[in-house]
Amino acid sequence: MLRAFAYQKPASVKAAAQAAARPGAHILAGGTDLLGCLRDGVFTADSVVSLSGLPALKGISANPRGGLRIGALTTLADVAGDARVQESYPVLAQAAASAASPQLRNQGTIGGNLCQRPRCWYYRGDFHCLRKGGDTCFAVGGENEYHCIFGGAPCFIVHPSDTAPALLALDARLSITGPRGSRTIPLSSFFVLPEKNVRAENILAAGEVITEILLGPPQTGARSLYRKVRDRGAFDFALAGAAVVVVMSDGKVSAARIVLSGVAPAPWRVPEAENLLAGRPLDAGAISQAAAAAVKGAFPLSKNEYKIALVRGILEETLASLA
Amino acid sequence: MAETTPKPWGETTVVGKPLPRVDAYERVSGTAVYTLDLLLPDMLHAATLRCPHPHARVKKVDFAKALKMPGVRAVLSDADPEANIPWHSGPGGKPASRLFDSHCRHEGEEVAVVAAESPQQAWDAVRAIQVEYETLPFVVSMEEALKPGAPAVQEGGNLGSKPNVYSRGDVDKGFAEADALIEETFTTSCEIQSPMETFVSVARWDGDNLMVWDSSQGPFAVQSGLARLLDMPLNKVRVISQFMGGGFGSKLDLSKHTVIAALLARKTARPVKLALSREESFLCVGNRPAHTMTLKAGVKKDGTLTALQLTGTGEVGAYPGSTTVGGQVMELYSCPNVRTEETSALINAGQNRPMRAPGYVQCSWALEQVLDALAEKIGMDPVDLRIKNFIAVHQAQKGLPYTSAGLRECLMEGAKAFGWKEARARARGNGTWLRGVGVAGCLWGYAGGPPSTVIVGLNADGSVILNMGAADIGTGTKTVMAMIVAEELGVPLDRIRIEHADTGTTLYSAPSGGSKTVPSDSPAVRAAALDLKSKLLELAAEQLKTPVESLELRGGEISARGGSQKVAIGNLAALRQQQALVGVGKRAPNPTGKTARPFAAHFAEVEVNRYTGEIRVLRMVAAQDSGRVLNLLTYRNQVFGGLTMGIGFALTERRVMDQPTGKMANANWHDYKIPTAMDVPAELTCVPVDMHDHEWNNTSTKGIGEPATIPAAAAIANAFYHATGVRARSAPMTPSAVIGLLSQGKVKG
Ligand SMILES: Cc1cc2nc3c(=O)[nH]c(=O)nc-3n(C[C@H](O)[C@H](O)[C@H](O)COP(=O)(O)OP(=O)(O)OC[C@H]3O[C@@H](n4cnc5c(N)ncnc54)[C@H](O)[C@@H]3O)c2cc1C
Repeated sequence: MLRAFAYQKPASVKAAAQAAARPGAHILAGGTDLLGCLRDGVFTADSVVSLSGLPALKGISANPRGGLRIGALTTLADVAGDARVQESYPVLAQAAASAASPQLRNQGTIGGNLCQRPRCWYYRGDFHCLRKGGDTCFAVGGENEYHCIFGGAPCFIVHPSDTAPALLALDARLSITGPRGSRTIPLSSFFVLPEKNVRAENILAAGEVITEILLGPPQTGARSLYRKVRDRGAFDFALAGAAVVVVMSDGKVSAARIVLSGVAPAPWRVPEAENLLAGRPLDAGAISQAAAAAVKGAFPLSKNEYKIALVRGILEETLASLA
Repeated sequence: MAETTPKPWGETTVVGKPLPRVDAYERVSGTAVYTLDLLLPDMLHAATLRCPHPHARVKKVDFAKALKMPGVRAVLSDADPEANIPWHSGPGGKPASRLFDSHCRHEGEEVAVVAAESPQQAWDAVRAIQVEYETLPFVVSMEEALKPGAPAVQEGGNLGSKPNVYSRGDVDKGFAEADALIEETFTTSCEIQSPMETFVSVARWDGDNLMVWDSSQGPFAVQSGLARLLDMPLNKVRVISQFMGGGFGSKLDLSKHTVIAALLARKTARPVKLALSREESFLCVGNRPAHTMTLKAGVKKDGTLTALQLTGTGEVGAYPGSTTVGGQVMELYSCPNVRTEETSALINAGQNRPMRAPGYVQCSWALEQVLDALAEKIGMDPVDLRIKNFIAVHQAQKGLPYTSAGLRECLMEGAKAFGWKEARARARGNGTWLRGVGVAGCLWGYAGGPPSTVIVGLNADGSVILNMGAADIGTGTKTVMAMIVAEELGVPLDRIRIEHADTGTTLYSAPSGGSKTVPSDSPAVRAAALDLKSKLLELAAEQLKTPVESLELRGGEISARGGSQKVAIGNLAALRQQQALVGVGKRAPNPTGKTARPFAAHFAEVEVNRYTGEIRVLRMVAAQDSGRVLNLLTYRNQVFGGLTMGIGFALTERRVMDQPTGKMANANWHDYKIPTAMDVPAELTCVPVDMHDHEWNNTSTKGIGEPATIPAAAAIANAFYHATGVRARSAPMTPSAVIGLLSQGKVKG
């Protein structure tokens, strides 16, 4: 049962940023994640700052210099259904379409999807864990089948977003407005690992609002896809997944981006695997070497070793299908 | 009262037709009032404080702060003398706990409740109650619970029941005679019933009369439970459970929250609603217990089973409950030498309750996979092996014959509809996705019986009131019962008013469970309709001065066969004068010297991704012998729902207990994974097999709800084996489990 909170609906991004900068304030986009957290008592809100008075943040438009601008309030359904996204950035359309369920995709926004809180059942449940200010990561000795195999310690969440790995594989940038002005950053510098900050998943400061996501012009010869493996066919997060973009020229890989989901506290890029593909045709040898390289350094917990085989399997399957 | 053995139906005009539900409009439009929707004037809302620990003693409860909060009207706890009500029993039936007990044996046990003007105020107050707990050692897995020195859940230790042994013949001799032996250990996970409507009761007192609306499968069981605990006569306790959003066995009996709502309503002199959240429903109102089963089986080269031996342990939770699974081992296939030995283990978790085909689903997982393995060992088709071992008598009940037994027909007709031989011969594929098909058979251990008493009343205009106690738990009970009345009286469905599931206005019916409602209550409905019809014909005979034998009732008119006299029901002078006529029907006893069972055979085709361990169920066929089909639509609903639950059992559903803290990790609908529409194949086929059983009851019905789910999971597991050559002994087969299996086993490609 929700506890009482104040509700605000500012009419400008600046006003929203100022309102959201107050202690105890939370930004509300589609609410599919925030309201769940509040209802479950994961954290509390004194005030909720709705972005629904900012229609300019909704929608997809062509960037004059090529590429697309995706407003932070664009729903996942609109991202997945956009013809330009489907045509030029299939990895993103597929990732957005693979999230949650139709109802949630109609309501949930892409900005909220990047900022959603982790799904770790200790964080979400009645456990006073590290991420909530406690002193234990319950996953370490507990039920860690769904936890991370890379980048953990001292907290072993996985980042829940499906769109984040796709956007990272596309080298997306974010426009952010805070109480003291705006900035644009590469998505690759947005996420933080628990060793840096165990209480937050990204670098947003209090009051900072993501206003848009910028995609560069599509590369010629690029093929991309998002592959997600989950326990059931919908309404489920990734056990593991991969956003893969390969640029082919003359039958060889000229550039590759592989970003994994469901395996680390942030979308997890695997440069070694990418490098192994560069300059080679996508043949069985290259694929299996890259798949093996992707899981190098994995550090499984007691119940999630399967994720190593799973990541390899996903990459073998997806790279072969891009060949 | 009507003769209770009328002739079986021949051609029917209403019964058997695929008619939409009589209450479809209310359900779809949202006008149906479920207990969760109910708002009474002046009603208070209650919320429950539950023990957050798996095992603890409540040292002190301080309500001071909570009582001062806005809207709070009352609290109730172990400190209130009226709440001193014994609840669970321990092993051996000794009382083990009270309504609120300071000794909490699992997460979620009730510590106190608050009644307030709004649900929000009640929850705010619950959070303000200060409780001091002494935490105690706990154990939340059955392997750990049965180890020496494990923390004791109950004073007597962790054995939930003494070993329960059944034996016939000599299994050792049987194994010695076998040409092939299999011995495997299977495990199944704890499942939560997860009905769409959570648990909720509304209680109101009018003087010393108690009225309770409850989301229940068994209003009469709730009534008698309340009457017993509150020391009241049945006439003063009225329980209503009309629109309700499912139970799957978890709502068969009285629950604590219903008693608590009644006590709070008395204490506050206001109506009280007590609803459980989804999370609470996961912890303390039932589950299908996890099971470990070791099954040993012997077979001769020609497919004759020589011996079956089952040892099993069920994980019951903190208070003993029934966990037997052995029924099908004793009964399904012809076998002279059978032994079962079953125990249960107590753990610090919520008590189990029946869940759709309790025990039978778990057993099927083991038995049907073992049958498959035996078939492979002797090089026989799995369908043929099952047909070979078909038997038409109940072997564990001294060879009592079944009035009908359609297992063979289910296997044959199902195989035909599925294209079994061709599908089995088709290449399994050696690419990414491996393909396989599987079959499993089953029976279900009940087919209904007395008591049931039903009244059918006639209004002066010829419209009808069907008055029956049975609850419609979402299965279409109201619809099929009204169709029987329409069949016998020739009135259209929209001229039938249905009164049901109200202990104040209808007569006793057993809880809707065990697939028993149709075979128990529909014969009483038919008998009542026929009783009314014969009275109606008598009135007409008098008026028309014709012998009653020559009269027939059709389309609201009574006419003489071959004659010209006729009269519309509304024009019967005697009816006009008395304005009402009533027929009463009773469920006749089942035939002596025989018994009945529903049977089924399920077929599945699956694909397994060799890289990722994903399983896709491509299609399923369910051939069901549940007797006559009363309504093809509601029947299919049951079958498709049963298959869906089977998919959940096989692939996705499991309670996860956090071993270090003893708390449930996935007590919500996101982490506890019931299948979605995307997990259920578009191609589901229901093949009704009607054996024209005219002996068991007067509607020739045996019940469909449970046999529609029993073998589904095992058919999927057998298809998985066919695809991969690897046995999945543990349910569910999640991708993580399958990856493990595929990396250990040698996948056929
Ligand atoms: C049952 C369920 C299943 C799901 N499954 C998946 C899945 O499989 N894959 C997946 O990727 N996601 C999944 N989701 C998450 C869902 O996609 C997200 O909840 C949704 O995208 C969040 O968008 P929203 O607009 O509703 O965010 P909100 O709930 O409004 O906000 C989420 C968070 O982001 C912050 N926020 C929102 N917008 C901004 C902004 N513009 N700037 C700064 N901060 C902001 C909020 O303060 C809040 O902390 C699931 C969610 C549910 C409830």
